[in-house]
Amino acid sequence: MHEMSLVQGLIEQLVALAAEHDKQRILTVTVDIGPLSGVAIDSFQFAFDILSKENNLTNEASLTIINSPATFRCVQCGHEESAAVRPDQCSKCQESLLIPEGGDAITLNQVELE
Amino acid sequence: MCDACGCDLTHTHTHDHDHDHDHDHKHTHNSQVIEVHQNLLAANDAIASGNKAHFEAKGIVAINLISSPGSGKTTLLEKTIERLKGTIRIGVIEGDIETDRDAQRIRAKGVPVIQLTTGGACHLDAAQIHKGFHLLEHEPGGDKLDILFIENVGNLVCPATFDLGEHQRVVLVSVPEGPDKPSKYPKAFISSQVFVISKTDLLPYFDFPVAEAKADALHLNPRLQVMDLSSTTGEGFDAWIEYLTSLHSKNQSTGA
Ligand SMILES: Nc1nc2c(ncn2[C@@H]2O[C@H](COP(=O)(O)OP(=O)(O)OP(=O)(O)O)[C@@H](O)[C@H]2O)c(=O)[nH]1
Ligand SMILES: [Mg+2]
Ligand SMILES: [Zn+2]
Ligand SMILES: [Zn+2]
Ligand SMILES: [Zn+2]
Ligand SMILES: [Zn+2]
Repeated sequence: MHEMSLVQGLIEQLVALAAEHDKQRILTVTVDIGPLSGVAIDSFQFAFDILSKENNLTNEASLTIINSPATFRCVQCGHEESAAVRPDQCSKCQESLLIPEGGDAITLNQVELE
Repeated sequence: MCDACGCDLTHTHTHDHDHDHDHDHKHTHNSQVIEVHQNLLAANDAIASGNKAHFEAKGIVAINLISSPGSGKTTLLEKTIERLKGTIRIGVIEGDIETDRDAQRIRAKGVPVIQLTTGGACHLDAAQIHKGFHLLEHEPGGDKLDILFIENVGNLVCPATFDLGEHQRVVLVSVPEGPDKPSKYPKAFISSQVFVISKTDLLPYFDFPVAEAKADALHLNPRLQVMDLSSTTGEGFDAWIEYLTSLHSKNQSTGA
């Protein structure tokens, strides 16, 4: 699955950050996986558990995954609501066509190293 | 404030400069928290933008075809090439996990084609397309194209995450797969401009409520352009050809 390639890229980025900051160990990693990113959180965690063990810098790192909501805009009345799961209809006018905005990013937010 | 310990030192600086961390911390730990806030796809997306610029410099519209294995992507391309022969110059980049069978089928239709094999990976990424497009440019006829089709690896999930630099993304679902694909695999439908229901000649043999599948897809993405067609009988093919022709003429009028 593509979660493996994404985690591979993440680990490369962590290694680069550690080198840049002259650190020997990655302690914690926080990643924000948007609800519309097409990334399965369990698979991402699973890939991280496996791939982080293969590297001395990351083998003790713990991963925190957060899931920031997306914004859904109503095509009828323009009302916007933010939700982690697509609402069935607009809470203002009951229209069922809602255009998603954002929520599709996978972001490395924060790294703690020593 | 420092997230690691709560001290009021500013650790939220960006890290494109050289800095040292010998400031006096009142605590003994020497761990450091770095705010990165970088998209994990940033590297892919940067290459994708480069690809798009490259396509545009050559006046090409690029289309990324995404579907499960066997939905009829290669067959759609074969028929499309036949229909547009002599009017629109087509090139193809084929992505598969193994084998160059799809490229052979396209080459038999007389258009330039490059086969990319991902060696196990379930999607194409922008770097592979960058390489593939340079190879395509050196194929006979590959230097002057109007439309570039990229047939992604047969997979409705993973390819949706990776921008290749395409202008249009087309997602296919064939009648035998059933109508619930949009709800089950939303990302491909949210990120596409066109949804094609393929193999409509098989509708008599499968329970596939076309209107329901279209409504589900539009529910996810109201901007989707939806069409249904059969590559075997040619039914519904005119709308597809019309879509490609108008993409091409729009591109010519803006690109000149
Ligand atoms: N009945 C019917 N069969 C079709 C149609 N289009 C394609 N097929 C058949 O479906 C099978 C798969 O078609 P392909 O075009 O190879 O599908 P694909 O999406 O390129 O497959 P992968 O590249 O392996 O993902 C072949 O046996 C085709 O002959 C159609 O419109 N109607
Ligand atoms: Mg194919
Ligand atoms: Zn995958
Ligand atoms: Zn509304
Ligand atoms: Zn501190
Ligand atoms: Zn190049």
